[in-house]
Amino acid sequence: MQEEIIAASSLCVRLNNQTILDNVNFNVAKGEIFALLGGNGAGKSTTLKTLLGIVPPSEGSAAVMNKSVKTDIDFIRSKVAYLPESVMLYGHLTGVENIEYFLSLADITCSESDIERALVRVALQEKAWRQPMSNYSKGMRQKAAIALALLRDAPILFLDEPTSGLDPNAIDEFNQLIATLAAEGTTVFMVTHDVYGACQIAHRIGLLDHGKVVGMFERGDQSHINTEEVHSAFSKRNKR
Amino acid sequence: MSLFSNLHRETKFLAKQRNLQLLFATIFVLSCFAVWSGISETTSQITTIERLIEKDTIDREGVLAKQSDYGSAAYYSFHLTYSSPSNMAFAAIGQRDIYPWKHRIRMLAIEGQIYETDADNPELSFLGRFDFAFLVSVLLPLFVILLLHDIRSVEREAGRYDLLVTTSKRQQRLWFSRAIVMCSALSIALILPFIAGALYTQASLATTGLMLLVVLGHITIWMTLTLTFTASKAAVKQSSAKIASMLLAVWLAVAVLVPVISNIAIEKMVTSPKGGDILLTQREAVNDAWDLPYSATWDEFLSTHPQWKNGIDMGPTFEWKWYYAFQQVGDQKASKLSNAYREATLKKDKLASHFAWLSPPMLTQRLMSSIAQTDTYAAMRYEQNIRNYHKELREFYYPLFFTENTFNLDKMSELPKFSDHKEKSKG
Ligand SMILES: Nc1ncnc2c1ncn2[C@@H]1O[C@H](COP(=O)(O)OP(=O)(O)OP(=O)(O)O)[C@@H](O)[C@H]1O
Ligand SMILES: [Mg+2]
Repeated sequence: MQEEIIAASSLCVRLNNQTILDNVNFNVAKGEIFALLGGNGAGKSTTLKTLLGIVPPSEGSAAVMNKSVKTDIDFIRSKVAYLPESVMLYGHLTGVENIEYFLSLADITCSESDIERALVRVALQEKAWRQPMSNYSKGMRQKAAIALALLRDAPILFLDEPTSGLDPNAIDEFNQLIATLAAEGTTVFMVTHDVYGACQIAHRIGLLDHGKVVGMFERGDQSHINTEEVHSAFSKRNKR
Repeated sequence: MSLFSNLHRETKFLAKQRNLQLLFATIFVLSCFAVWSGISETTSQITTIERLIEKDTIDREGVLAKQSDYGSAAYYSFHLTYSSPSNMAFAAIGQRDIYPWKHRIRMLAIEGQIYETDADNPELSFLGRFDFAFLVSVLLPLFVILLLHDIRSVEREAGRYDLLVTTSKRQQRLWFSRAIVMCSALSIALILPFIAGALYTQASLATTGLMLLVVLGHITIWMTLTLTFTASKAAVKQSSAKIASMLLAVWLAVAVLVPVISNIAIEKMVTSPKGGDILLTQREAVNDAWDLPYSATWDEFLSTHPQWKNGIDMGPTFEWKWYYAFQQVGDQKASKLSNAYREATLKKDKLASHFAWLSPPMLTQRLMSSIAQTDTYAAMRYEQNIRNYHKELREFYYPLFFTENTFNLDKMSELPKFSDHKEKSKG
């Protein structure tokens, strides 16, 4: 078996007497792209937040690189680049300045040309690079945040709806980028509603519903996961 | 990551926040104004004193030239006493606003002259003058609260919190270094005008250093308090506005309520004679003396001045020595009240110093006026200076009243001169 990077076992999360995650189990291997699919309020973002130590597990365990979120959260955070659900950076700073600031928080010094290269990779138009981010559109903000996550140069990516707000071209480019990174050994854990996109790039898809993992789909020998199969499982759940 | 690189990063970050720069500029202007207002007050006090000193000698020489006996020379000549502000007084005018700092006194009974202008009611002047001490003790906490209350919550409300804490190597350091950088900028905005003022008034390095320590100490107290509160469970789910109002309540309690309530409590706890009572007691003693037999005055006088027992025989007419003896007796009669007054004042001050432990602003204000020598002790020292000087005057005149009789103007050049003893230890 391949090196296990992310593991949740019997993971339960309760907030305000409400069960948000209910006995969740999964493993993600090194270099794997794992997508967590589910409807609104299924508990996808909560899963990511639990793995990042933002939300504490009530029962069971969550671990990244064999370190528990309860005991080694600083280590875990140093290995993970996180793209939050709704990206908000500092409006009064430019895209480049924001990226510089957040990188220096993580103790990473990047040359300006590195940052520019990353911004080219995520296809953020050049004239926006040095504008205050308060002038950015949602998609532009998303691109800047993706560039930031890439520049973290972390072995693990946690992406919460990374393609939301991106135009179709940008989504294609993004998917290619993720595939390349995974091929280079980066482990990707992403959360999405986008059944089609997930099926295109993910090696495995977990279907989450009301805090429970209700299905697991694998690519196997195929070039991608069967979209129809996932789609019907997904819509069946969501119709209930 | 070292704390230094954290501070460097946050300094760069702060440098790009226009609204905060505007706030610091406003605080700088306020501080300039406070320092300027303190300096203009102390300068005007010094000018007044200098003018009075000049006038004092001229007036007295004019009066003395017209006299033909020592008794009327003593009666008609005034002597200026004063307490000049220390070089640091501009930063904390303190009790100089409440207690008088100049008196023109005569050889008459002294207690009444001291308490003629009774101290103003200190409660009314609680908020006091807008000087540097007021800025530091009362307003500074508000600036710290303004800067730091939303240090976390603003990030939560803007949706950046999770990204910040998961990206930051050590999140406590992030908040701490942010707070340090903001409070440093605040300190600089406050302190620069003060240092300029201290250089201008040539205050000593030691007192300037002590003042700076107090300012930084007070900032540290409020920074710690605010940071601890924003990190607490109670604040985690609150909005910035809610956190601000909770911290403002704390400020209101310690900066306004504690001083006002402790003032009221102290007035209740310590009974003090009024300055007016002292004046009245002494005046009555003096007025009654005219109608009493000479022996009543002499008995009282000799009980404290036995050395003049051979000089008390009286002629058929009015004699100055008897007049000044009953002035002295008036002081002796008032001395119990005046001692009680002083003791009560010091006791009140002592109690206030205990209450000040409940209120960092009060403590700060007290420390600053103590360093600037504008506290109650300084006011008491000045009163004592007046008494000592009056004693010197009496010691000069008594031999003239009781033994010699022919007036010699040259002798008057030996009149003791008042000196402001603070001069030596001037800060
Ligand atoms: N801090 C919290 N306190 C209480 N309940 C919460 C909290 N955060 C999330 N929840 C609840 O947990 C459930 C799952 O939320 P989560 O954000 O994980 O959903 P999601 O799958 O990411 O949904 P979406 O697709 O809309 O982003 C929701 O019902 C939400 O109301
Ligand atoms: Mg979500």
